[in-house]
Amino acid sequence: MEFKDYYKILGVDDSAELKDIKKAYRKLALKFHPDMNPDAGAEEKFKQVAEAYEVLKNEDKRAEYDEMKRYGSSAEQGFKAPPGWQPSGGNRGGNAGSSADFSDFFNSVFGGASDSFRQSGQQQSHQYKGQDLEMEVPIFLEESVSGLTKTLEYVIPVFDGKQSKQVKKSLKVKIPAGIADGERIRVKGQGAPSHGAGNDDKQLNGDLFLHIRLVPHPLFDVQGINLLLTVPITPWEAVLGTKLEVPTLNGKINLNIPANSHTGKKLRIKGKGLKNKTAQGDMLVIIKIDIPPTTNNETKKLWEQLAEKDQYNPRQDWSN
Amino acid sequence: MTQITLHIHIDELCLNADINQEAIIEVVEYGIVTPIEGDTLSEWAFDLESAHWIKKAVKLSQELQIDWVATAMVIELMRTKQQLEKENSQLKARLSRLL
Repeated sequence: MEFKDYYKILGVDDSAELKDIKKAYRKLALKFHPDMNPDAGAEEKFKQVAEAYEVLKNEDKRAEYDEMKRYGSSAEQGFKAPPGWQPSGGNRGGNAGSSADFSDFFNSVFGGASDSFRQSGQQQSHQYKGQDLEMEVPIFLEESVSGLTKTLEYVIPVFDGKQSKQVKKSLKVKIPAGIADGERIRVKGQGAPSHGAGNDDKQLNGDLFLHIRLVPHPLFDVQGINLLLTVPITPWEAVLGTKLEVPTLNGKINLNIPANSHTGKKLRIKGKGLKNKTAQGDMLVIIKIDIPPTTNNETKKLWEQLAEKDQYNPRQDWSN
Repeated sequence: MTQITLHIHIDELCLNADINQEAIIEVVEYGIVTPIEGDTLSEWAFDLESAHWIKKAVKLSQELQIDWVATAMVIELMRTKQQLEKENSQLKARLSRLL
């Protein structure tokens, strides 16, 4: 196990005062916090900084650490706690940072049970609450309308008494009809398992939070509870009007495109959108005029005749 | 079949996320979230989106050592950013269908 030089991590001297330690922590926390810094490696760096601050901000822990540093930092073949060393266990509760990912070094010095677990002090003195987990669940638009049963594969941290191991888990979850993009679902007790004496209390297992994400649809866009469908039409269909068969989420319907429809014109089809608990959405058909990719001589002549006969100038409002 | 819910009670939130009630009261008082039900503190329940922001607010406040006014502002900016990113991505998708 590698010895962690917490002073070096925070960039302070061994004799630094608490206010300087706090100042160094704040500066580094702002720089590396995963919500502020998306760079790869920033989260790991933040965890190291949070762990260092967790120890150095506390007078007792800092004294313990300093003692350990005198003993262990000179070891040539990696760090080992001194024989007979009793972890203080002072890491449980009251952490300034997230305690879930502290290092093996931290756990060997200050007690190891905090890894992925929190103590349920109000109920049982030696049981630890399993960690809540979050995962994104992509679903298709059609599935969000009808609801579905989905099999999820994920890993949970399981503590075997000494260290945390990643264990694969499979779970069937019923996702209700009408679920929207960005909504969250809580699956009780399916996060990390609880740990400690009498390790059979499912109430202390963490929860699994599912964050629903709609997979982009090849035809439809979603705007609240309305569906948007972009329909390409030819220039002559736009000018003369036409009848089209257009898709909806539950079959095709006939639609009248009125004469003189321009690009961007919206036609509302009542009740063909999505549905939530309180309302039924509509489908909005958006017209897009599509120019034929190739033109033969005959049609080119027809366009030329049209250009001669029609004097319309779409740029007449432009200033000279 | 697993049991799913779309809300969380304050007691469960405190236990599950290791958050004390005082922190949740601060988060509510600073307008970061609003309970979806419950007239008294012990009856408060939150939708899961609010629960997500409560956890995020408490974590940010602790990890960045910032007060609740700053936390409320950060959360508001994060939400706005998230909303704008979502709108931007939707508008880009719609634009690409028109081009």
